[in-house]
Amino acid sequence: MRRERGATRPQGLQTVNLSWPMLSRIVAAVLGGYAFTYAFTAALARLLPLQPADALIVATVLSFAVYTGAILWAFACRSATRAWAGLALGVPLALIGFWPQLLERLG
Amino acid sequence: MKQKTITQSLSWLHTWSGLLFGWVLFAIFLTGTLAVFDKEIDNWLRPEIPAHSLDSREAAQTALDYLQARHPHARTWNIGLPNERAPTLSVSTGEQRRGGGQALDPETGELLQVRETAGGGFFFRFHFTLNLPRLLGIWVVGLAAMAMLAALVSGIVIHKKFFKEFFTFRPAKGQRSWLDAHNATGVLVLPFHLMITYTGLVIFYLIYMPAASDALFGGDREALNRALRGMPEQHAGQGRQPPQEVAGPAPLTALPPLLAEAERVLGPLASLSIHNPGRGDARIEVRPLLGNRIELTKGQSMVFDGVTGKVLRAPAESRPSLLTQRVLAGMHFAQFGGYPMRWLYFVCGLASCAMIATGLVLFTVKRRRRHDGEGALGAALYTGAERINVSVVAGLALACVGLLWANRLLPFELAQRGGWEVRVFFLIWLATLLHACLRPWLRAWQEQLGLTAALCLGLPLLNVVTVNRGDYIPLEVTILVIGGLLAACAWKIGQPAPERALRVRTEVN
Repeated sequence: MRRERGATRPQGLQTVNLSWPMLSRIVAAVLGGYAFTYAFTAALARLLPLQPADALIVATVLSFAVYTGAILWAFACRSATRAWAGLALGVPLALIGFWPQLLERLG
Repeated sequence: MKQKTITQSLSWLHTWSGLLFGWVLFAIFLTGTLAVFDKEIDNWLRPEIPAHSLDSREAAQTALDYLQARHPHARTWNIGLPNERAPTLSVSTGEQRRGGGQALDPETGELLQVRETAGGGFFFRFHFTLNLPRLLGIWVVGLAAMAMLAALVSGIVIHKKFFKEFFTFRPAKGQRSWLDAHNATGVLVLPFHLMITYTGLVIFYLIYMPAASDALFGGDREALNRALRGMPEQHAGQGRQPPQEVAGPAPLTALPPLLAEAERVLGPLASLSIHNPGRGDARIEVRPLLGNRIELTKGQSMVFDGVTGKVLRAPAESRPSLLTQRVLAGMHFAQFGGYPMRWLYFVCGLASCAMIATGLVLFTVKRRRRHDGEGALGAALYTGAERINVSVVAGLALACVGLLWANRLLPFELAQRGGWEVRVFFLIWLATLLHACLRPWLRAWQEQLGLTAALCLGLPLLNVVTVNRGDYIPLEVTILVIGGLLAACAWKIGQPAPERALRVRTEVN
């Protein structure tokens, strides 16, 4: 507790050094996180054993918690690469969410 | 970035999302807190509307008599009813339903000359659109709300010991006091912060996250709405007659019994519309006040046959999932629970504002002594942040009370008067930014808070001098208390003792 507030921690406050990995994390959090949440919500709505209207509301209302989790994930994990790797789980989720549309597209 | 711990990364997220969005968030939270009392502020802004003791049924009859006499051929009559919070009785014709309308004296049934004003609704609209084009504003505010959620949750993780720190307050110790104040206001109403932010997002949930609607309904809102109402397709357009079928003239049914029935089903009423008055296919649509229940009942109504008075459509009960969403939205709107609940939301909203403001100040205070270590860019950034802080926190408060002053001081007959009030609001806000850039940092805080306090304290006097009517004691007492607190802040800043530690460091720099 004291350590965090002490006067001898200039490193932690060196906040202007915006590096590429950091930029990558920000993009991962904001855009990657949204894309992941979009896919997650679609998949959840598809999978919930409810009527479509109910599944839609449940999945959509929960989506903001998912997005928050995705943002925190992008910053909390060890490297920017891992952050993106985790968010890439959105791809299979999108396939689940939109498989009827996909089948239609493929003929 | 290599060796950073989770706490450090989340701390970075907390600091920067907190700073960049903190400015927008403060504006959203302050205007949202004011919007809790939007109707009461609106009453103050329209002093020409008299208080009266008529109930809504008598007032509705007055309005109906007026419309029958003056607009016998209009296709639709709209009547806005007075209620516990607002004495306004308004009438309009045609499709318009929102706001609008002309105020009517409920006692005499004559039109009132009411000053044109942006109204208390300005704070409400600013709260969720920032006065930007509606959809753009909703997205910006939504983004800020997500930043708030991220900052809240990362803040909880950073301050793992926060329940212990909650009982720690070291006043008059510069940076530590700011940190303690930030933690205390953050933790004290943490459930409120989380609730109000999340439910704010839930209001526009389908705008922000259309994924499920895209996946299950192909983005077709019509199909989705039918499914939500649990309606088969043919009932969707119920309540509208096919236009080619022209009905003959027929007298309108008596309004009072019909309104009594509506009140029994819906609770206190907000407004009614009479479609095709004086014809066989007349319809009377009655809408409840928001806040008869926790559920946000926007758009709900009850439809009567205008000739026989029979109920054609009762409001549908929401299905459980939709009810959940509407209750969440209703918790944000805070229309339920009457005045005790409004005060609770108002006080919690002020605590949220205080948390954001102390966080913003903490950011700059923490870095004040390290400018030179970070080069010219760092120094410029922190100086800029300090100035913007003054303008966002103190300047916005000044602009808000400035709008109230403009309402009394602008000429009554000025064209686009409401627009000018809004312009005054933004001009004052811009002026505070210039002022903050030109004046020494602490002096800028002191002067802007002091001026805001003076305008708050002078507001009851202004009312007496300019219009001298209306009974606004609760609002005026509240604004006097706020003015007093701001004056105390301004005075405190002028005192050397609490800031001594900081001053010394500044001088060394």
